[in-house]
Amino acid sequence: MCNGEYPTAGLSGPAIARRWFLQQCGVGLGAAALGHLLGGASVARASEPVAAKLTHFAPRAKQVIYLFMAGAPSQFELFDYKPELTKFDGTLPPPELLKNYRAAFIDPNSRLLGSRFNFAQHGKSGAWVSELLPHFANIVDDVTIIKSMSTDAFNHAPAQILMSTGSQQFGRPSVGSWLSYGLGSENKDLPAFVVFSSGQKGPSGGSAVWSSGFLPTVHDGVMFRTSGDPVLYLSNPSGLDDTVQRDTLDTLGALNTQRLEATGDPEIATRINSFELAFRMQSSAPELMDLTNEPKHIMEMYGAEPNVPSFAKNCVLARRMIERGVRFVQLFHEAWDQHGNLRNDLKKNCGDTDKACAALVQDLKMRGLLDETIVIWGGEFGRTPMVQGDGDDGRDHHPNAFTVWVAGGGFKPGLSYGESDELGFNVGRDKVHVRDFHATLLHQLGFDHSRFTFRTQGLDAKLTGVEPARVVRDLIA
Amino acid sequence: MLQDAPESVRLMGGWALDWPTRLLTHMTLRVRLIAGLLTGFGFGQASADDPISYDRQIRPILSKNCFACHGPDAEARKADLRLDVHGAAISVHDGHAAIVPGKPDESDLVHRITSADPENRMPPPESEKTLSEEEITLVREWILQGAEWSSHWAFTPPQRPAKPQTLGTDWARNPIDAFVLSRLEKEGLQPSLPADRETLLRRVSLDLTGLLPPLEVVDAVLADPSDHWYENLIDRLLASPHYGERWARHWMDAAQYADSDGFEKDKPRQVWAWRDWVIKAFNEDLPFDQFIVEQVAGDMLPDATQDQIVATGFLRNSMINEEGGIDPEQFRMEALFNRMEIVGRAVLGVTVQCAQCHTHKYDPITHTDYFRMLAFLNNSAEACDTVYSQTEQEQRAKVVALIDEIEADVKKSDPDWREEMAAWEAIARTSTEPAWKTVSLTFDDSSVGGQKHLPREDGSYVAQGYAPTQFHPKMTGKTDLQKVTAVRLDLLSDANLPRGGPGRSIYGACALSEFEMRVAPEGTSIAEYDKWTPVKIASAIADVNPRERTLGSEFPLKEERKRVTGSIEMAIDGKHETAWTTDIDPARRNQARYAIFRLAEPLTIEPGTVIAFRLSQLHGGWNSDDNQNNNLGRFRISLTDADALPEVAIPAPVRAALALDQAARTEPDNRTLFSYWRTTEQSLEEVSARIDALWQAVPSGATQLVLHERETPRTTHRLDRGDFLHPAEEVQPGVPAFLNPLVAEGTPDRLDFARWLVSRESPTTARAYVNRVWQHYFGEGLTATTSDLGTQGEPPSHPDLLDWLSVEFMDSGWSIKQLHRLILTSATYKQASTISADLLERDPYNRMLARATRYRVEGETVRDIALAASGLLNTTVGGPSVYPPAPEFLFQPPASYGPKIWATDHGANQYRRGLYTFRFRSVPYPALQAFDAPAGDAPCTRRVRSNTPIQALTLLNEPLFFDCARGLAETVLDEGGQTDRSRIEYAFRRCATRRPVESEVAVLEQFLAKQRARIAAGELSPDAILGAESGGARDRGELVAWTLVARTLLNLDETISRQ
Repeated sequence: MCNGEYPTAGLSGPAIARRWFLQQCGVGLGAAALGHLLGGASVARASEPVAAKLTHFAPRAKQVIYLFMAGAPSQFELFDYKPELTKFDGTLPPPELLKNYRAAFIDPNSRLLGSRFNFAQHGKSGAWVSELLPHFANIVDDVTIIKSMSTDAFNHAPAQILMSTGSQQFGRPSVGSWLSYGLGSENKDLPAFVVFSSGQKGPSGGSAVWSSGFLPTVHDGVMFRTSGDPVLYLSNPSGLDDTVQRDTLDTLGALNTQRLEATGDPEIATRINSFELAFRMQSSAPELMDLTNEPKHIMEMYGAEPNVPSFAKNCVLARRMIERGVRFVQLFHEAWDQHGNLRNDLKKNCGDTDKACAALVQDLKMRGLLDETIVIWGGEFGRTPMVQGDGDDGRDHHPNAFTVWVAGGGFKPGLSYGESDELGFNVGRDKVHVRDFHATLLHQLGFDHSRFTFRTQGLDAKLTGVEPARVVRDLIA
Repeated sequence: MLQDAPESVRLMGGWALDWPTRLLTHMTLRVRLIAGLLTGFGFGQASADDPISYDRQIRPILSKNCFACHGPDAEARKADLRLDVHGAAISVHDGHAAIVPGKPDESDLVHRITSADPENRMPPPESEKTLSEEEITLVREWILQGAEWSSHWAFTPPQRPAKPQTLGTDWARNPIDAFVLSRLEKEGLQPSLPADRETLLRRVSLDLTGLLPPLEVVDAVLADPSDHWYENLIDRLLASPHYGERWARHWMDAAQYADSDGFEKDKPRQVWAWRDWVIKAFNEDLPFDQFIVEQVAGDMLPDATQDQIVATGFLRNSMINEEGGIDPEQFRMEALFNRMEIVGRAVLGVTVQCAQCHTHKYDPITHTDYFRMLAFLNNSAEACDTVYSQTEQEQRAKVVALIDEIEADVKKSDPDWREEMAAWEAIARTSTEPAWKTVSLTFDDSSVGGQKHLPREDGSYVAQGYAPTQFHPKMTGKTDLQKVTAVRLDLLSDANLPRGGPGRSIYGACALSEFEMRVAPEGTSIAEYDKWTPVKIASAIADVNPRERTLGSEFPLKEERKRVTGSIEMAIDGKHETAWTTDIDPARRNQARYAIFRLAEPLTIEPGTVIAFRLSQLHGGWNSDDNQNNNLGRFRISLTDADALPEVAIPAPVRAALALDQAARTEPDNRTLFSYWRTTEQSLEEVSARIDALWQAVPSGATQLVLHERETPRTTHRLDRGDFLHPAEEVQPGVPAFLNPLVAEGTPDRLDFARWLVSRESPTTARAYVNRVWQHYFGEGLTATTSDLGTQGEPPSHPDLLDWLSVEFMDSGWSIKQLHRLILTSATYKQASTISADLLERDPYNRMLARATRYRVEGETVRDIALAASGLLNTTVGGPSVYPPAPEFLFQPPASYGPKIWATDHGANQYRRGLYTFRFRSVPYPALQAFDAPAGDAPCTRRVRSNTPIQALTLLNEPLFFDCARGLAETVLDEGGQTDRSRIEYAFRRCATRRPVESEVAVLEQFLAKQRARIAAGELSPDAILGAESGGARDRGELVAWTLVARTLLNLDETISRQ
């Protein structure tokens, strides 16, 4: 959006425009253009009515919940039903498949391992789902399953960064930051991009997976947590009540306003507003996080308890954020790296997440929010059809083919898209590369990925990078 | 306030946008930037009389719209047409030419950019690019004027331009002002009045040192009657050690400094010695050319000093990925790419990284050029050196002197020592070393825990990648010997290991918990190791046998149990709790060592017999994300069939000295022999024990990641699409043709490359640095694209000024301090920053420089200001990073991937300057991150400057900021006089430097009164606010009231702004 096409708000003069640009586009953008635009002849145009938050075309969805299953869940035990793999269980893979194949830990020439769990077809769509996901089995007709995902990285941190930012290199904005930048927020009191983390660990990619990269820091994901202060430094220092805080803000406001008048620097007005927003967040965030008024049956539907931190609780909170207009909510659940203990760990992980994921989709649907909200479920890559370790109970990292699912936001419900080959090794049909997935996601949110750019240090950077990416039209209703 | 909020609220980016998105999606309005570029303040209006500059006006249009397909990249080039090269653009094909000088109507280019036919139109519609009417007119006009070509401004070495003539004559203080004024006059603008003394004092203090002037200094400067008060002030500030801290931090941004590895493990690393070096370099005004040479190739300078080697830490600020499944070569290559980017952005000011995967689309850097430059950097080891402080070096020298003294005493008191030693030597020389045959090993994937073992030419293996901390790695091999009587395990040094190894622990040491050996016929799976036949080991010897010691606390377990390390017997005692270690003491732990395991019975080798070795390493800690491994770093296994085996393991240096004839031995050889011999002499046992104890007193030193040039050069290949798995043709070190030539004798190396970077002929290096210095003073560089002076970068607002400064900088001997003086004493710098509505409209970013720029200070400075204002600031310069209080949960899962150590400093270290705060890349320190401090995962030559509610929450509520409020209150009560008014003034000055005006005092008095009333009414509790501890002898109610006033002042926009 900030690439040679600066949509300015039909607000008023350049002072406003300047502040808007500072905040929206930041000083990182092609300042060339920006400075010239504002300083030069085009100042006159600032009076023309333009939208600050302009999409390229009418968006089909306006919000996103991304359930990031970090560690990379095994598609073979969950979604990708492969009877042939089961048939060849215990045999070595065909050598031609292994040509130029690198595995992270195992000797690629390891025995094939059939699914450790049973599959059955569900719903009108007849989607194959494993016995580990009984709740997901109930929502398959609302969901689009993509079985032909493919990525370039097979180590956790680079792959998570790639999935989050479109690049294996650090320093790029994450999807949520791009959308915060592109769409802004619909809630004055909350950040546009919120992050939760549950599971055994934080994501391998660290805070880079929710970083705003070269976009202004205002687009960073803000991590919420479900115990203690939901947001860092949200509570007043010990012993200070809201009255002191209000008095302080009023005093600050009065002094800052005097300074604004003395210096003429509009940045001071923005500072005043930042403080006011912070003050509002101090009450809106706790209200949001307080689940005591969530009906019992809803909490049960998710399998969440008000005072127990869990993925399920984060799902309830994600829905509450969507209701309040938060643009992008990302839930990291790092637990899926089953090099070993595949059976038991998957049982536990599915026990921790299946019910809540299904409940989230159903709850959003019930509330009429699913149409305009995209729910994404997936990890950073898949797992090998070959075994890792003794005991037939582990799989290594596998980037060639894996599964993610999406629901809502104009994706075709009840569709299983793409296929891996018979052994689940490579994509057999309708490959969806990470950048294709991003392009499609942006499309649903109203952006042409090839034009959704940000100028940084002489380059027009895109979420989808420099390689060709395609919008997967077949995924879209 | 709130009623008026919506407009501003809209300005708050992602946070709050309250108009319906959907409605707006139907409005499309394109504001064509390029129009601004042509007619904006960049170069003034193009008038018919002015010749149009290809470089400044035309190339940007062509670069943006055409070069992607008609530029330097031959692979992407369409229709075999190049528009970036003069000859190609005007050459005639089939009677047509893209450009016919003087004849726009005959030029194909003009036809194509104006064509209404989408088939013919350029750029093609699918490119989403279009030229504006203004651009088309300009291109036509330029062709009409003869299509004069000129090379890109930044690719021609800067020449000193003539000082422009200006109408105004009394404003300018130095040549900078002439360039600025000339521009202002063209724009019909006036410079602003000079800033008042207080403002200027505060500004220049923050700019040079990042610290506020103490009130004594403020008073002294205000009272200074000298005409040179300002110049004197600048000299004092440049001489302050805090100057180096401030400017080091800018450089650290560009070098992407952080205190951890990044990626998943994100382990802590020690690189602060490099930070200290940078601080010192700035303080000593090390000339910039030397500053770069030492950082890029200090290790290759003749007789390189420790400092010069530490300087190469610059390029080791790249990240390291040691997660389980990685290929070390892949991430070594990633680090090299990153170093190229750092060199490109921080030194050259050119975006070289585009050419990593393909030929640059806009600048003339080919894909091959990229790898030729990379070849300079591709020949170093990823080394981690031990570094000693001055004190430590002295301590070490003292120990060595003492030991020398003791040894001299021995010689004195035992006149027969020569004979005794000769007798020992005669025996020692006859002890024959059996012939050892190296075993080529196959590592069992399932037991190495993700650690990768890279083979070396000498048959050894270097452990790289993930380092498990408790494991039983198994490896197998074969031998063509008929029988085996003993196994030799060499632990070798390697430049890629911590402190040179031989281990992988933070000390470069290791511990072998148990050595085990089994055999089985070929084809037996290693998974069935239990079924293999054990080989009994009778005894073992080693050339290092440290005293028995309980394992150090740096290798903790969750449930502590007894674990000891000591001599070689501990590796064959069948106990996991004991281990042989190489860690004898800090002075002698980083040497190659070996052990020999003698088999109980000679092992007969049937054809096809496979031997398995299990090298259990269980003496690491529990946390593999925190450098707790104690693994073998580089090792080699060899076998012998000799029946005669040595009784003692003589260290390799001793054996080497022994092998020499007396006459050929050097003094160090003799010393080595003597020092070893005395350990074998029973009568000298006590002396040797004393010496051993002395060695323990040598300090460990710290470590620093550095570069070490390898002796055997690596070959460098162009990598197809930048993929390390697809090497193409070999390339030789070299530089792109569009930059200055690299002159060297023979094959140029990294040192030549370093010198080339800062050659007087380099067109971009001086400009890039001068531009960034300018940016720190005016908010924007003379070109805002600070790391891209290439054709896609922003043309400079004052091209002649940039060139003049660059030449001046080089002519001054690359003196950075001189450059500061020059800019700071200009009238341009000294202007007031107040801004009229008119000027804001004309020049919101202050690119014309009709005023000074007012902006929020950087994150570290936000913190330093609060600390300084409160009186809490600890001004210690240099040393290891510190751990000020931070929310503990951030460093624990599930917020962080692995559990991280945050050893909170509760003492004075928590009040150190922000630049010393420990930076984990994956868990940025929140109070700095909120204010846009970079995470260190990419080079940053220009920080964003955001203004967010998270910043407000941090200032208001973060514990350290609140601590500062209380500290300021205490200082105010103690030092601020007795009246409310004097105290308010005092507190205000400590934050804002200036005195408050009447209306400001009134607002604060009112606030103070209200808080006092609430405290008196019991609505606010001093106990709850201050904690149970008292505030000294001070009235606790008053202390609370003033803490709240102080907190307000510390939160003022002005307090955290430079104006």
